[in-house]
Amino acid sequence: MKKYDTIVIGAGLAGLTAACHLAQTQQKVLLVAHGAGAVLLASGGVDLLGYQPVDSLTPLDNPLAALPDFLADNPDHPYRLLETEQIKTGLNQFLALTAQSGLDYRGQPDQNWLLPGPGGAVHPTCLAPTSMIGGHLAADGGRMLLVGFRELKDFYPKLISDNLNAQNLGQKSTAVSINIPAPLAGQMNVTPIELAHAFEQPDFRRAVIASIKGHAKGYDRIGLPAVLGLEQHAEVLADMQQQLAKPVFEISTLPPSVPGRRLFDGLRRTFTRAGGRLILGSKVTGGAIEAGRVSHIDIETASRSRSITADNFVLATGGIFGGGLQTDAAGRVWEDVFNLPVRAKTNRHQWFDKKFIAPRGQPVASYGVKVTPQFQPINGHDQPAAANLYVIGAALAGSEWTRGRTGNGLAVTSGVFVARQISGERSVS
Amino acid sequence: MKQEPVLDDLALSIWEQVQYSADLCVKCNICTSHCPVSNVTDLFPGPKFVGPQAQRFRNPKEISVDASLDYCSGCGVCTMVCPHGVKVMEMNAKGRAKLYREKKSIPLRNRILGRTELQGQLGSPFAPLANLFMGFKPARIVVEAVMGIHRNAPIPKFSFETFRGWYKSIHQKSGQALQSDKKVVFFHGCSTNYFEPRVGKAALAVLEHHGYEIIVPPQVCCGLPMLSNAEFDAARKNAHTNIDSLVKYVKQGYKIVGTSTSCTLSLKSDYRHILDINTEEARLVAENTYDICEFLLELAEADQLNTDFQPVEVEFPYHSPCQLKAHNMGLPALDLMEMIPGVTIHHVDADCCGIAGTYGYKKEKYQIAMDVGRPVFEQVKATGSDVAICDSETCRWQIGGATGAKMIHPVELLAQAYGLQDF
Repeated sequence: MKKYDTIVIGAGLAGLTAACHLAQTQQKVLLVAHGAGAVLLASGGVDLLGYQPVDSLTPLDNPLAALPDFLADNPDHPYRLLETEQIKTGLNQFLALTAQSGLDYRGQPDQNWLLPGPGGAVHPTCLAPTSMIGGHLAADGGRMLLVGFRELKDFYPKLISDNLNAQNLGQKSTAVSINIPAPLAGQMNVTPIELAHAFEQPDFRRAVIASIKGHAKGYDRIGLPAVLGLEQHAEVLADMQQQLAKPVFEISTLPPSVPGRRLFDGLRRTFTRAGGRLILGSKVTGGAIEAGRVSHIDIETASRSRSITADNFVLATGGIFGGGLQTDAAGRVWEDVFNLPVRAKTNRHQWFDKKFIAPRGQPVASYGVKVTPQFQPINGHDQPAAANLYVIGAALAGSEWTRGRTGNGLAVTSGVFVARQISGERSVS
Repeated sequence: MKQEPVLDDLALSIWEQVQYSADLCVKCNICTSHCPVSNVTDLFPGPKFVGPQAQRFRNPKEISVDASLDYCSGCGVCTMVCPHGVKVMEMNAKGRAKLYREKKSIPLRNRILGRTELQGQLGSPFAPLANLFMGFKPARIVVEAVMGIHRNAPIPKFSFETFRGWYKSIHQKSGQALQSDKKVVFFHGCSTNYFEPRVGKAALAVLEHHGYEIIVPPQVCCGLPMLSNAEFDAARKNAHTNIDSLVKYVKQGYKIVGTSTSCTLSLKSDYRHILDINTEEARLVAENTYDICEFLLELAEADQLNTDFQPVEVEFPYHSPCQLKAHNMGLPALDLMEMIPGVTIHHVDADCCGIAGTYGYKKEKYQIAMDVGRPVFEQVKATGSDVAICDSETCRWQIGGATGAKMIHPVELLAQAYGLQDF
């Protein structure tokens, strides 16, 4: 049977972060996933905590300071298992990882960036790419020109600008839509990814800049959809700012997300360059726990099942949305790989709030695997189900992220915490 | 002739499960984000649109909704990245077959590209002449004008000596062919037989080095080139011929080993998931087929791999093809090559080289294929190596054509390290 030091199951932000960290400590790591994770759908930012109380309408300026109150209100949230220093370590490790991956993320745990979202709402996030930080809605942010492309149908600068202005954030924004130049001119519809590739062509950029220049007079900064290049993003952004002679920033789009793709590609590359092995597109069909340890997992290959083993296993398969938890019509909720005990209501009527956009989140979103303070899943007797198994990210019980906005923050901090525990790193610096 | 499955059949065949996997799509666009083709051309709107989204309109009794499906290269990256289990590539292959059925004509060009075996049978006996002709630029311009095969597409050189010919008339008659109770069946595929017998010879030498007697049973083209050119009936005929020939050995307990990750993927998966062959024999063949490196790595895991490698001081780029990734077996070639002392491998981290079997040969798709492959070519060139490694033949030809690198199969490096055959 093929043997690794650690097998990480799931290629979302939690799984990628843990896998990268472990691979960099000279471990032989396998990352196996049914598909690419939700990091590809996300804004690209790492939200630590956006609102406290979670139904507040005012975004937090300082997420770290609000954590004690948040945990008092949400005592089941997995943040309770992490000390402040461990949260800081997790975020710092993420910054280091992204820097090694050629990505320029900035931020600190006691400060949120307030970034304009694709619907014109304010998105409080802790770590973000510098290209998006340029959109930080500071009181002295000056006048913003928001530019969209008519052919990019999911991005309406007018909607964003009207909604931002209606919130009286102390700055005015104006919207303008321009036509996409050659070689994409004439298309009815383009995706953000296509645009990102086009932006890597200097001629395309020049044509876009020429269209923007006529509108840009009197504005202090210019916002564009997050399509400013993929592999050559840093060069594209620098060139845009230089040619427009103004700060240029990116606003997240509906999926496919270009910043999500940059993050996924960057972390994947860092992982494989550190010697990590990746199997994407393969479902883990089960795992065996024998004598208090995971002995192996079974994965689906093109024509047969295959068993693989490791010293340690990390479950990063997500919650109900990510596919880590499965449900049926009878109200059963189960964890899909090891059938670990989950915290969930079995009465389906209790799964959902009556309001679609529930002020305190949907109960079902917080269902997940119960763990010990070391992030080890517990069995029916409150003991670790297996001495070599850990759970991170949205698979954790209590990790409702939609309202408080804690999803990627938990993914990163729990991922680094568990990776450090497995690799035997004790210090928290 | 087997009947087409009907949609309202309640006992779902494997193919129907593929088709209904469209219902698992949550429109998240992760496939669109990764599609190598839609990222370089607007002629293809992307896997989500032509796959699960169009699937609901793809009623067997009505005409196809969208001809842009023909621009899908079939690389399968969409199926690989989909976190929800949607079989996008498989759906598209089937949709394309329907498209061409309705057109009632498959271009002669596609029929020829689909018949690698016929090309070999016609070309190999006249290899010097055929290679001279295909290497002659004006001839290629005529071929492009008449046939629609792009003048710069990487056409491989015919080998005058076929692998089967060498195996039967030289290797077996030499008295050096290993006789053993341990046996494996070798599926050589068309490329090894007609274009690159050296790959088959290397595989055979490495397998014999591990004490395996090689059986080379009667076999035909795996059918993948016909499948990807919408000729399902012809592909099914080949599939049945191969299954009938191979299953006899599987029933005796032997494994089937191949050097082409495309052929072995057909045996493992496409026969059942795309061609809808649901027989017990197809299952047996699928479950007992191995890529050569997968087979060797399993020997390593059982402590049965010879580790008498001689150091090979080389630094080569390695591209893992889409068809290999679809095996979901990891990167056995990389694991093996890293065991050789002195060898440094630079793993190319780009998804697809663009060729996708016969796709990049077509006049109207050549440039798309080159644009898709650019990141691979750039990474290969950046290493400065004049040799590069890849498991799949058409990818080797594409990367070699675009970069000038000499392309080898991983098993050729292994054969050299064992001192069996130089690449």
